[in-house]
Amino acid sequence: MDLILQLLFTGIGIGAVYALVALGFVLIFRATNVVNFAQGEFSMVAAYLMVVCVEFGLPYWLSFVIALAGMALLGVIFNLGVYYPLRHRTYLPVIIATIGASILLSNTVLAIYGPQPQVLQGWFDTPGIQLGPVYLDSQYLLIIGVTILLVLFNFWFFEKTLLGKKLQATSQDKEMASLLGISVSTMIMITFIYSAVLGGLAGILVAPVLFVSIQMGSTIALKAFAATIIGGFGDVAGAIVGGLALGVIETFGAAYISVPYKDGFAFLVLIAFLVFRPQGIFGERVAEKA
Amino acid sequence: MKLTRREFSAGLAAGLAAPALMRSAWAQGATIKIGMCVPVTGPAAEQGLWAQNGAKLALAAVNKAGGVLGKQVELVIEDDQTTNPGIVLAFSKLAAQSDIVAFLGSIRSTQVQAMAPDVIKVGKPVMIGGTNPDLTHSGNPWLFRFRPNDNYSGRVIADYGVSTLGKKKWAIVHSTDAFGTAGGKALTEALTKLGAPPVLDQGYANQSQDFTPVVLAVKQSGADVLGTYFTFENDLGIFARQLRQLGVNIPWVGSPSVVAVSSTKLAGPALFGTYGVADFAEDSSDVAKSFGKAYRDAYKTAPDNQSAWPYDAITILSAAINKAGSTDPTKIRESILATQKFAGAEGEYNFDKNGDGLHGYNVVKNDKGKIVYDKHIDFND
Repeated sequence: MDLILQLLFTGIGIGAVYALVALGFVLIFRATNVVNFAQGEFSMVAAYLMVVCVEFGLPYWLSFVIALAGMALLGVIFNLGVYYPLRHRTYLPVIIATIGASILLSNTVLAIYGPQPQVLQGWFDTPGIQLGPVYLDSQYLLIIGVTILLVLFNFWFFEKTLLGKKLQATSQDKEMASLLGISVSTMIMITFIYSAVLGGLAGILVAPVLFVSIQMGSTIALKAFAATIIGGFGDVAGAIVGGLALGVIETFGAAYISVPYKDGFAFLVLIAFLVFRPQGIFGERVAEKA
Repeated sequence: MKLTRREFSAGLAAGLAAPALMRSAWAQGATIKIGMCVPVTGPAAEQGLWAQNGAKLALAAVNKAGGVLGKQVELVIEDDQTTNPGIVLAFSKLAAQSDIVAFLGSIRSTQVQAMAPDVIKVGKPVMIGGTNPDLTHSGNPWLFRFRPNDNYSGRVIADYGVSTLGKKKWAIVHSTDAFGTAGGKALTEALTKLGAPPVLDQGYANQSQDFTPVVLAVKQSGADVLGTYFTFENDLGIFARQLRQLGVNIPWVGSPSVVAVSSTKLAGPALFGTYGVADFAEDSSDVAKSFGKAYRDAYKTAPDNQSAWPYDAITILSAAINKAGSTDPTKIRESILATQKFAGAEGEYNFDKNGDGLHGYNVVKNDKGKIVYDKHIDFND
């Protein structure tokens, strides 16, 4: 039982990281109908920004604010430089542009900061707490807490605020939203900013656990992408549930079946969903028009 | 003499081409070129930089002492991207340059394995740092190893744990790539010979984000000592921290990555008190000490095995070409194999018929973040 609880905690912790990155995928997909393959690199860039600020001697909270502000700026640049010029084309050029941007981002950081992985201290001085037989890593606790808060915030933001409703309208039907006087390009700009900040938040939160390296983003993004498909592409709740499910499944699979094939379980689940329920857990079946 | 139109054209063409050909022949002969496949990008880019540093340090010394066969030596670097396809591509790019006389391959066994078939086809000497014993025992005459192979590391880890620390209940954790699998196997064999077969043999896939299931398996096995073969320092750092967090504090003797500079920095106190076999230990010999000093002076950072083996490889390769008096691959090969009692930064090189230069390891300890030399264990068989 102790073992199960420990595995469950870790599984949810790592799943929450996938969920945070997956959320960024979903928001951009809803607004623009394209998958942003640079979402993982957003996490990596934010973690490096944080390291730079902390090394510069700034307080942790201020570094955090600056890093997230930097991500918001990156969201603006990304929208203007990668999405906006290609917005009238089909989804394919945009997707390829995001892949190009992800390579550009990781190589830019490599060129500026070098290949050395960096250590970022966690938010708390205490590394964790022992709760009976289960050890709770303080950073994972923070990640889980932030994920819960974000779920609540997203619900409030998209369902209760005018801006959230405008964003939803834009993602559902751009032409209709435009006819109703909503500035579609502004809404898409806001989505990119929000997604970049979310990706950045995930990177900063996970950095003390996984260290800060050029590859950190791509490793998480691959799993987050799988989580998005499992949850149902385009569904906010689906991204969260998909991420958590993936984290728990791979942790238990590793413990009880095989550690070397840990990543295999995640992708087996992905394949099973693609075959038997391609719309994901929360997605609605979409019928092609004749 | 009557000149036909054809003869005139041929002569004109030859006359026009001659300066270019002569210039190219002169350029080819101006330096001795050594190719180096090294990670410039990818997960081991940091270690790749240190490997380049080590090689360049040796190169500077060789050139200062008059070079090779009276010419200056030049290093041609190609990025292997820390991947198997990457190194195959990098090697084929270098091999296409016919004036490169020998190569430095990877410190990663899995990459050496990937490039090995092409090495046979090219038929020129390749210096390697990968420690999977099979690499030099599979009939490939062109691979020369500048680090002790895992048969030795497994034997030294087992010998130190069982004889010096007096521990017999072993848990082994290893990567499932070529290096980790061979290392885990060598350690299991050595322990079985010493009458202490492991109670747990646990593989893991590289680039894991979480090691909780592995740590819990170690905890549940009831082992009183841990032996590890980790390929990437990032993985090792995460594992070490989770191991301590989940309350596993048994003695730990690991492969060189446990005492590598990046691991010590990343894992911090989680690695305090651990032992590692290290092919390079700065205090183990005078040559190691002077290499250490030169490296620190040049790069303002501590040297480790990532930089020591390319340093030795360039030094010994250059000496071997000089001794052979030729850049003929077969003559260079014979000359390297004839290298005996050569004091390098990694230890004393005595090449055997397989191309293995070193036959033992140092044992070092992480003493509150400082790597301290403990003892050297060598084998004659």
